[in-house]
Amino acid sequence: MKHSTSNLKRTNPSAKRFAMCMVLPTLVVLLIMTAYPLLSTFIYSFTDYNYLKGADSAKFVLFENYTSLFENGYFRQATWNTILFTLLAVVLEMGFGLLIAVFVNSLGRGQKTMRTLILLPYLLPAVTVALSWRMLLSANYGIVNQALEALNLPVFNWFMDTKTAFGTILLIDVWQNVPFVFLLLYAALQAVPSGQYEAACIDGAGVFQKFWYVTIPNIKSSLALCALLRTIDTFRLFEKVNVLTGGGPAGTTSTITQFLYNYGIKSLDFGFGSAGAIVMTVFVLILSSLYIKRAIQ
Amino acid sequence: MKKLLTTLLSAAMALSLVACGGQTSNGGTSTGGSADGSNSAPTKMTLLLRGGTYGESLQARLPAFEKEHNVDIEVQLLSFDDLHTGIALDAVNPTGTYDLCMVDGSWMAEFTSNGVLANLSDMGYSFDDDIIPATTSICKVDEDIYLAPYFGNVTVMMYNKQLIADAGYAPEDIDSFADIMDIAQKTRAADAGKNGFLLRGGSADNIVSDFLSHLLVHGGWVVDENNQPTVNTPEFKAAMEEYLELYRVGSTLDKDDIVASVSGGKTALAQIWPGWYVPTADGTANYTTIPTKLTDDSQAEDAVALQGVWCIGIPNNAPHKDLALELLKYVMSPEVQLASIEDGGVPCRYSCLTNETVLETYPHLKTVCGALETGVYRPAIAEWTEFTNILGTEMDNIIQGTKSLDNGLADAQAALEKLMAG
Repeated sequence: MKHSTSNLKRTNPSAKRFAMCMVLPTLVVLLIMTAYPLLSTFIYSFTDYNYLKGADSAKFVLFENYTSLFENGYFRQATWNTILFTLLAVVLEMGFGLLIAVFVNSLGRGQKTMRTLILLPYLLPAVTVALSWRMLLSANYGIVNQALEALNLPVFNWFMDTKTAFGTILLIDVWQNVPFVFLLLYAALQAVPSGQYEAACIDGAGVFQKFWYVTIPNIKSSLALCALLRTIDTFRLFEKVNVLTGGGPAGTTSTITQFLYNYGIKSLDFGFGSAGAIVMTVFVLILSSLYIKRAIQ
Repeated sequence: MKKLLTTLLSAAMALSLVACGGQTSNGGTSTGGSADGSNSAPTKMTLLLRGGTYGESLQARLPAFEKEHNVDIEVQLLSFDDLHTGIALDAVNPTGTYDLCMVDGSWMAEFTSNGVLANLSDMGYSFDDDIIPATTSICKVDEDIYLAPYFGNVTVMMYNKQLIADAGYAPEDIDSFADIMDIAQKTRAADAGKNGFLLRGGSADNIVSDFLSHLLVHGGWVVDENNQPTVNTPEFKAAMEEYLELYRVGSTLDKDDIVASVSGGKTALAQIWPGWYVPTADGTANYTTIPTKLTDDSQAEDAVALQGVWCIGIPNNAPHKDLALELLKYVMSPEVQLASIEDGGVPCRYSCLTNETVLETYPHLKTVCGALETGVYRPAIAEWTEFTNILGTEMDNIIQGTKSLDNGLADAQAALEKLMAG
């Protein structure tokens, strides 16, 4: 079938034109929506473009923005925070997501109800989640501190203390995104042939062996895809940090996006902000390259 | 069939692209609606205001203007940062979206140097003697007026009535920063679960803004007369040490928690903006002016409280400039300003803030009036947003103990010098 289709393409110019016409709209949209902004950002990153002064008055400064960026201690701190946050969040989300997916998949009854309930946090907008957690964890009237107080346990200033702020945002992000991992892996688990488990049982495999030698190999592409999507998404973390801590206290929750917002967008210094955006894109590509390579193979 | 499908798809795509690039033709500099109340369609005006009481008190006064001028006004209420970005992003369009906008004094230099705001003097607007002079200083460049002070926002000292009484103070006794420290320390000493004083966290701007009064009372400021940074000075260090001392007997919270904590009896003192809290006679908390003396024996400074007056201005590219000027004059009129008090507004007019009838219901406005008369604005420098980012981050590092006082201030000075050198 494949062979005959390629033959048709080779021999029929009108089919080729038709195929081109079918691809054209997507190509145009991609050029306008992705390639043009990316190229503009790349060019602006070599200029001192300030939005209020206008692009006409922008001058080329070569690598000055990149040099300032890498010399900037706040950017280095934000980069380290982002990488650490991404690694921890992805590992935790993958772990908990897989655990819950396996558990729900093993249930004889109530799978649909569980699936709906577990998905709820993921359906909420990030800003709503952040505001809800801010109320829950308020140092003054939050229910969490009140519960801790009632139990004679120490209370915390969750978002304003350097010891707790990073971990608290991590917890909130994991809470919201575990359902996404769960959903993808649950779908993959549903597709694992039951015959393989039966065969493993006959061979005397235990629960752990079935999980390791049957489940994991069957869902490894989904695991890789999930990790890729979560890595990219977590690396762009912004709303929760911006709403809950603004990058503080003492920069302990500052991420690259929050840094770019503070030093590029708020000050309308789009040349500097563009350099940061390009660096961030490169970081994401590096982090996700392993997954992409695997997906292509 | 394929050719037909191809043609249809191409046509659809071309149509979509044309539609995306389309532009409505209601731009220009129309002077807006008919004032005679005729049957013509109302002119559409759009205002960009600060969310909360600041913008809502203005919004509540619009229906009368809409009726009188046959206009339909849409109001967008935004946060501090979004408001700044919203005005700036619209400023580069030949014809803008917004007819009137609220502007914070700290954006004034940046906006006027880039032609964002219309010159109100050229349009025929001037201040009358009823407006508190200190509130207009940020509104002018030389003698040209660009903004009008709408909402009298100035830092005040919020206190819990019971806790300051427990510390042996009456509100009128708090007349120096030494008194603030004494109350804060006594409150913590009496109960380790209570805060003597609260600092506001959440952003670099919050940290810097709240600290400026402490710096002023120590005789310091963040820039010199040539707008060069002066943050690594003995005065700044002394102010910072006093601030750290207050932090040790208190904590850092955000705006909502600060108000709840003081009014709830968990904290004795905190600096706030009047728009956050309206005191009542039987309430647990109230506010007073920020003291202008360091100690009871020291000389009083001229101005200590920080002015954060929300001004209103007309963008240079406003679609209905003349009508916008009418609106600005209307909301700045003594009658409308007086009426705005009912909606939580704080006028910058003597006639409103000293009105006996008003003071019977809102006695705290007397305090606000005093603070507005002696308040000081943030420096009018175009780089203020970046300046405050750098300084606030370093101050946060010092407060949280991740940097020593000397290192933090030295780093801030170096980074700010680099910024101001361009």
